[in-house]
Amino acid sequence: MALVDLVKPEIIKVPLDSKSKQAVIRELLQVLVDAEKLNDFDAAYDALLAREAKGSTGLEAGIAVPHAKTDTVSTLTLAIGIAPEGIDFRALDGNPSNLFFLMLAPPNQSGPHIEALSEIARITQSKTFCKMLLRAQSPEEVAELLTEED
Amino acid sequence: MEGPIRKILLYVDGTEEAITAAQYAVCLAKSTGADLHALYVINTRALNDLVKARIFLDSEEEEYHHDLESDAERYLKHVDKLSSRKGVTATLEKRSGTVHQEIKKYAEEIDADVLLIGELSHVRSRRDEFYHETERAMRLVHCSVLMVKDEERVWDLYDALPE
Repeated sequence: MALVDLVKPEIIKVPLDSKSKQAVIRELLQVLVDAEKLNDFDAAYDALLAREAKGSTGLEAGIAVPHAKTDTVSTLTLAIGIAPEGIDFRALDGNPSNLFFLMLAPPNQSGPHIEALSEIARITQSKTFCKMLLRAQSPEEVAELLTEED
Repeated sequence: MEGPIRKILLYVDGTEEAITAAQYAVCLAKSTGADLHALYVINTRALNDLVKARIFLDSEEEEYHHDLESDAERYLKHVDKLSSRKGVTATLEKRSGTVHQEIKKYAEEIDADVLLIGELSHVRSRRDEFYHETERAMRLVHCSVLMVKDEERVWDLYDALPE
């Protein structure tokens, strides 16, 4: 499953309201609950925090990719959040994170999970593209940039 | 055996579409008498990229690699079941590496006449043209490529095939 198949305006929050790591994870999970993509908020939250406890998924250059394998979802599930002001996600470079790609995958879908994460890693290598995402004013605009159909 | 199709290479990636392609491959092998080869590629390139990007920890790489090994076994076993049910013998192959390159390599090794793949999603981004592994394999292989569509029709064809 390609990233483009997962990206819909209803799973995107622009801008995020949160100011802390735990809060941003909760905010993005709530986006998934509201989009009817997630039922068990608490179990998903625990799975994400357990992964964060092993090492922060806050990468360099403002990107964070919190992810976890969990049976609280039946298919690969993505939420995207944008925080132009930046949030302390305990990133590897110590800088605030702006672009959040939260991904949950059922335990039997490691293949699609890896492909989608790999695509996120690839697109976020472009500083220009990340800047365009940061400037986006609405979920629709973010979705359009990520799906870039023509 | 004569005819344009003597060796069929089926690429299996664990999607529903690949299972439909597997059913069609069995039909094609049965009607042409061609040899059927099924290939699953463990995408270790993507795993390595995720570790390099620091999205994955080393322990996660091991865990996911193990998951992918299990997927490969499961999906190839399923192809074996689909083919043997219809009296077709399939050669099952599991490889690791960059998916499109492994498909290309294996197609050359067995001198495949046709590569069968599952239907690709209708909604694709321009990015996919460059990075989607099956799309890239389609362009790279030396042989003809057949993209299998219409799940219901294929199911009926497979079902109607004598055992």
